[in-house]
Amino acid sequence: MSAGLSRCVDCGVDVEGTWSRCPLCGAALREPQEPGERTPSPLPDVPLRFSRSRLLRALVLTSLALVLASFLVQLLISPGVSGLGVLRSVWLAVASLWLVALMAVRKRRNIAKSTVYFVVLAGLVCVYWDFLLGWSAWSLTYVVPILCASSLLAVMIVVRVMRIEVGEHIVYSGLIVILGLTPLVFLALGWVNTPLPSALCGALCVLALGLLQLSSGSAARHELAKRLHL
Amino acid sequence: MMRQHWVRLDNASNMFLAARSDVDPKVFRLGAEMDHEVDPALLHKALEKTYEKYPLYHAVLRRGVFWYYLQDSDLRPEVTAELTAPCAPIYQADRRTLLFRVMHHRRRISLEVFHALSDGTGALWFLTDLVTAYVRLRFPTERPTDPGADGATEAAGGSGAADASDGTGAMPGEDLDDLAAHEPVHDLTGDSFAHYFRRRRRPGSDAWQARAAFTQEAEAEDRVLSVGSRGADADPGPRDGTGSRDGTSPRDGTGSRDDTGDVAGADGSTEDSADAPRREPVGRRRLSLRRRVYRVRGTRTPDHRTRVVELTMPAAAVIALARAEGVALTMYLTAVFFEAVRRAAEHDALTLAATVPVNLRQFFPSTSARNFFATTRVEHAYRSGPNDLGAVARTLERDFRAKATAEALEGKLRRFLRFERHPALRIMPRPVKDVLLSGINRASNRGLSVAVSNLGRVVLPEPVSDHVGRLAFEVSAVRPQFCAISHAGRLTVTFTSPFVETDHVREFARILTGAGVEISVAAGRVTGQELAEAFEDREGDEPQEDAS
Repeated sequence: MSAGLSRCVDCGVDVEGTWSRCPLCGAALREPQEPGERTPSPLPDVPLRFSRSRLLRALVLTSLALVLASFLVQLLISPGVSGLGVLRSVWLAVASLWLVALMAVRKRRNIAKSTVYFVVLAGLVCVYWDFLLGWSAWSLTYVVPILCASSLLAVMIVVRVMRIEVGEHIVYSGLIVILGLTPLVFLALGWVNTPLPSALCGALCVLALGLLQLSSGSAARHELAKRLHL
Repeated sequence: MMRQHWVRLDNASNMFLAARSDVDPKVFRLGAEMDHEVDPALLHKALEKTYEKYPLYHAVLRRGVFWYYLQDSDLRPEVTAELTAPCAPIYQADRRTLLFRVMHHRRRISLEVFHALSDGTGALWFLTDLVTAYVRLRFPTERPTDPGADGATEAAGGSGAADASDGTGAMPGEDLDDLAAHEPVHDLTGDSFAHYFRRRRRPGSDAWQARAAFTQEAEAEDRVLSVGSRGADADPGPRDGTGSRDGTSPRDGTGSRDDTGDVAGADGSTEDSADAPRREPVGRRRLSLRRRVYRVRGTRTPDHRTRVVELTMPAAAVIALARAEGVALTMYLTAVFFEAVRRAAEHDALTLAATVPVNLRQFFPSTSARNFFATTRVEHAYRSGPNDLGAVARTLERDFRAKATAEALEGKLRRFLRFERHPALRIMPRPVKDVLLSGINRASNRGLSVAVSNLGRVVLPEPVSDHVGRLAFEVSAVRPQFCAISHAGRLTVTFTSPFVETDHVREFARILTGAGVEISVAAGRVTGQELAEAFEDREGDEPQEDAS
């Protein structure tokens, strides 16, 4: 047939490109009538490319298992063991840091979303930590309000500086504000030792809520309608 | 701030998201081979022009709490050299990218599309417009002799709406499609599934009567066709309403009058979506039947890319073979495929099943470029009865014709939409839906050996078709599959598979060459060894060539 095509005699087909063996049966090909003038294959030769996603997935799952195990093991350690206090704090700190790092890597593409994850994870870890150390309510009194308030400020700054569109962040900003209102609940239930941090955080969030409602209330409703569409 | 349009993902598309995997990213490709090396700069210009006409293709995919949705974006597409493996993943969660890509390699222009965005027919519209725009830029002196002439022949008998964006006024099927006719054609909206199958049947409704009449007509024509099947190069007149947007539109799968199996969905594994609700209650009998279905196994390609083997052959020769057996092309090729798989498996008493997507636009006129297809499943047990190629093809043809009717499909899709609209399912969060759907998908995969998809004969507008040789159509695959498309008298049957082995392709080619069909093979290299050979060659032959 065509001058530039090699031929597999066994299959009775012409082969495009520079194959030396038939891609179908593996038999040696008969050279084209004008060697050196082979018709190039219409399909490009793409070098092998290994996706890192599988490796990454394996690493993430292993890390999560280790972090989770670290947290669970703490339950077995009775609070009174002497000399373990510092060690245990370092251990918990490393596990928490690793968890936050994992989350940050995974959700790196949307900073507002990753902040929500951060607030929830860090808050829960601290409450758990507080519980392990015999519950003196430091987590609810200080950590959670400070975490919420500072995250809210951080998101507001980031959104402004990075010029993130309202639709992109509104749901997450809203979630942070709502999370920031929970210290008021703790305050009302009397779960905190010092009311000031919770009150400050609550006030800030109420203020932010008002601002959000005024500046982008309709965008927020549009976005929510979209995401909660049934 | 402009509020971005958004639209919930239609039902077939949800399945693609649940079923996509490392091996099968649910991407399909349409390609056109030009008569010259493609000029990337002009192609880019052509792409920008075409992109304007397809708001749907501007969409990015986002995840809501309960559903996925498509949202308008202001991203711009880029033409790239073909540096990725065929049908490489396009959609990545959390990354807001366009859901298609346009590439060039030597003489080829390739369009790859994530299947949740569009189906084969929709993508073929896009490719046709792209290639048309490109040819106009590349050969500015050539003008269509009479822009109306094409349109006239093409639109004859068609019942779809005209392309509003082109402003070609004729709307032969206006009465059929009260809604779609007034919408911009390739808009983000326009879920044809919902349009046709969600509404309650209103007795006496004009649109419904019109549609029913159309269906009967289409079927009558089908019967005529099945009797007097024509060669691919015979009359290009359409049988259905899909392609008659305007003169420049391809016959998109419909042109092959000798072929009912117009495909829209390139992919076989989504049949599951449409089949699922029906299969669930039927249960045991089907299950026990399905358990016996042979499934092709093999060695996965090293980096999970799709193995592509393209067979190009003269369309007329194959159609003559099909006609000699008294069947249409798709089912003839399916029968050959079955026989090839059987020979490759070296096993006689197999039960083989194939999934075949059917373009719904031929029964339910729609100009939406979004997914609008349903799949049917055909099966043959090589245990009893005559097992020669012709007999198998005729059995499959009967089976397929019974399933690919407007009534059968409509019933199935109505059931599926009811299932989708079920309150319990609606309030199910999206990740749970994904798990459920991928379970259904896995279950129905167990009942399938291969997949088959035929876009039929494509007719490009006059000055364009002179510069285009064969077309290519392929889809990422979770099981061996072939996709067929023909243009300019050349039929391209592209086999894709997640496995390195090409035994079934070898047998397929040998059956056809044995019957006197001339075939040329183009295969993509997938293993380290194959690629090393290519790169050695290249270093020897063309040192200046870019190694990528």
